[in-house]
Amino acid sequence: MLKQYTYYILAFACLLLAGCDRIAEDERLIYEPIVMEDDQDDIPEEGKPEQTKRVVLLEDFTGQRCTNCPKATDVIEQLQEVCGSALVAVGIHGGPLAFAGNARTVGLKIDIGDEYYTHWNLEYQPVGLVNRHAPLSYSEWIDAVKEELAKPAPLRLKGTAVLEGNVIAISIDAQGTNGTVDGKLQVWLLEDGIKALQLMPDNKPADQEYIHNHVLRTAVNGTWGEDFSIKEGETVQRTMALDLEPKWNREQLSIVAFVYNDQGVQQAAKTKVEIIE
Amino acid sequence: MKRTLTYLLASLCVLGAEAWERKGVTFSGSIQSDMLVPRRDSGTGAEKTGSFLTNTYADLLIQSQYIDAGARLEFLSYPLPGFEKDFEGWGVPHFWMKGNIGKAELTVGTFYEQFGSGFILRTYEERALGIDNALLGGRVVVKPVKGVTLKALSGVQRRYWEWNEALISGADAEIGFDEFFPALQKNGTDITLGGSWVNKYEKSDEKVYLSPTYRLRLPKFVNAWDVRASFGRGPWNVMGEYAQKSDDPSFANGYIYRKGSAAMLSGSYSGKGLSVLLQAKRSENMSFKSTSDVSKAIGISSAINHLPAFTQDQTYALAAIYPYATQLADGEWAYQAEVGYNFKRKTPLGGRYGMNVKANLSYVRAIDRQFYDGDDLVQQTNGYTSKFFKWGDDTYYRSIDITLSRKLSKAFKLNLMYVNQRYNQSVVEGHGGIVHTNIFIADGKYQFSPKVTLRGELQYLRTKEDQGDWAYGLLELSLVPHWMITVSDMWNCGETKLHYYQGLVTYNVGQHRIQAGYGRTRAGLNCSGGVCRMVPAYTGWTLSYNFNF
Repeated sequence: MLKQYTYYILAFACLLLAGCDRIAEDERLIYEPIVMEDDQDDIPEEGKPEQTKRVVLLEDFTGQRCTNCPKATDVIEQLQEVCGSALVAVGIHGGPLAFAGNARTVGLKIDIGDEYYTHWNLEYQPVGLVNRHAPLSYSEWIDAVKEELAKPAPLRLKGTAVLEGNVIAISIDAQGTNGTVDGKLQVWLLEDGIKALQLMPDNKPADQEYIHNHVLRTAVNGTWGEDFSIKEGETVQRTMALDLEPKWNREQLSIVAFVYNDQGVQQAAKTKVEIIE
Repeated sequence: MKRTLTYLLASLCVLGAEAWERKGVTFSGSIQSDMLVPRRDSGTGAEKTGSFLTNTYADLLIQSQYIDAGARLEFLSYPLPGFEKDFEGWGVPHFWMKGNIGKAELTVGTFYEQFGSGFILRTYEERALGIDNALLGGRVVVKPVKGVTLKALSGVQRRYWEWNEALISGADAEIGFDEFFPALQKNGTDITLGGSWVNKYEKSDEKVYLSPTYRLRLPKFVNAWDVRASFGRGPWNVMGEYAQKSDDPSFANGYIYRKGSAAMLSGSYSGKGLSVLLQAKRSENMSFKSTSDVSKAIGISSAINHLPAFTQDQTYALAAIYPYATQLADGEWAYQAEVGYNFKRKTPLGGRYGMNVKANLSYVRAIDRQFYDGDDLVQQTNGYTSKFFKWGDDTYYRSIDITLSRKLSKAFKLNLMYVNQRYNQSVVEGHGGIVHTNIFIADGKYQFSPKVTLRGELQYLRTKEDQGDWAYGLLELSLVPHWMITVSDMWNCGETKLHYYQGLVTYNVGQHRIQAGYGRTRAGLNCSGGVCRMVPAYTGWTLSYNFNF
């Protein structure tokens, strides 16, 4: 009987040892950088239009009452440093932790923020959509952006925006580079550098002067954009105009344009609003 | 998941057919169905989230001398408000067969298990919170000699309508020494020692980046072990337990590589009308999930272990507005003291019918954490240093509850309760600040006749923070043996001035219980045992049906 128990104990000890998996401090990191190709576009195949790199859209569903949202913003800043213009980040203030504001405190929540939050079946914040695929927590964004950057882009997109008087004139130029794309063209207005309240993580006090960047202010061409179709080699231009609202800081405005369909966002572009005095 | 339904029904039919032929086979089961017809309510902001919602469960159990088997059908395709999208679905997620052979018991299929207090393993079902973290696999329980219980198990864990990929394995041994030493039994002394081990193996594809340049190397194995001892003699009982978990970088702990631990000491006395309970617990970095997929690990699903909250589970409506949720990842020092005394009848304080007084003090505090980088947790490091007995700066929760129960006449019984709380809303809910409350509760029951009883509650919550004061009233008329009629109103007389009214009619007949009603439910935390779920406001018609056979 004693012998039998000794075998059991030995087998148990072996299992315990087999299960040990301590990772030494100097082995916890794996070097795996985002490889950014040079800015030149790919050399096209014979008979094909000049190819272009994909610009990735990251929709960050955030809120001023969301304590972990500044952590997500940190990830965006890290990504922007490496990816530059290949990443377009948009802060969408919607969902239960967004703040509509009151007489004393500036709120950044917008109705379409709530609409997007509900439409995408989001359930927690911060959460993001990378090129409108499955919702991801911020710790998963870098991996998703890497994957998207590696994909070819089927079209080239370029926007210009000019503010003259109180009207922003917007022009979006698209060129089909690979196959046909059917979907929607969405144009948004963003604002940087908004000083407003933000709850902070790790039990830190709320920051009354937190700087909110790339905040979605409005959808220029409707909540879900307008129908859009482009064939390989074809060029399409869309123009639109937007009245400036007094609460927007004209110095800090940008336009984001992107084409999306059921397969996600196909291409995105961001341009600063140029002011003509 | 749907395929299992077919397999299950087939195996149950075979088993059932065989079983019928044998003597001593019993069938039992239950049905529980909670239904809601929601309505949009501009007052509370409640949405009409569907035309008909229901959480319905049907359990079937077949027992015989050597083999037991069971299954559960769950219909949650249109669930009640407050559950995640992944909660939706239907099927037979539970199906199991248990064989009793001599001193061994073998279970195949789904099962629930708890080692010790659950510090390293607790799988259980809590329907109100949508928790069901059963394991699918096998378990063997052996009792080789009297007083010794050995368990071994392995399986994958349920997360709503899928099984997480991580393989959970474990073993537990418990020895009751009083079975070996007759002298201990003779003088009423119980000594029990136990030990457990749990291993999680996950070959994760999850790529977690520290920065756009570096990815974290995550461990495939996470081990946890636990030792415990209890000593009881007469009215006294002392219990101690300690658990440790190996490095388990996760979203919950900020991807730090640090061991987790939990230690608990509990002592109690119960005799001669007096009961005393003293408990202390320290835990740190003990969030233990069966998936590293962040979108699945967020929330209360996929938990392998459970740390009990050393706070009162409140049943009165206003006392339950600010409940405490155990801080598994950040850790906590938690203390609880409870004293109860029964004043005998026909004494000056006990009066004609006797009186019971109970006082409970709960205090939960942050543990000391000195981060390597000032105020921030830094991924890939050991996170922080922590002195075992030192407290951190924040108080998470404090509650003083005093309850007095007294029968004032043959027909009238009165409960009075006072609760004083200090609730750290930022820690528990992620917003707000510190909420201080004073809650006064009176609960009286008058028996008009053996068949007619009326119960009433009056409650008032006083606070300057959050939504301000609340008042609550309830009347409940019981007409034995079939009927019960309840009306209540919870009124926020502080900030919102909203009334959350409710009316319910309950009918019991035989093994059936039906409850129908209409009312408003406020948005807030629904908690049990320190685990909480945020439930949105909803309004509508409700219907509940329970049946046991």
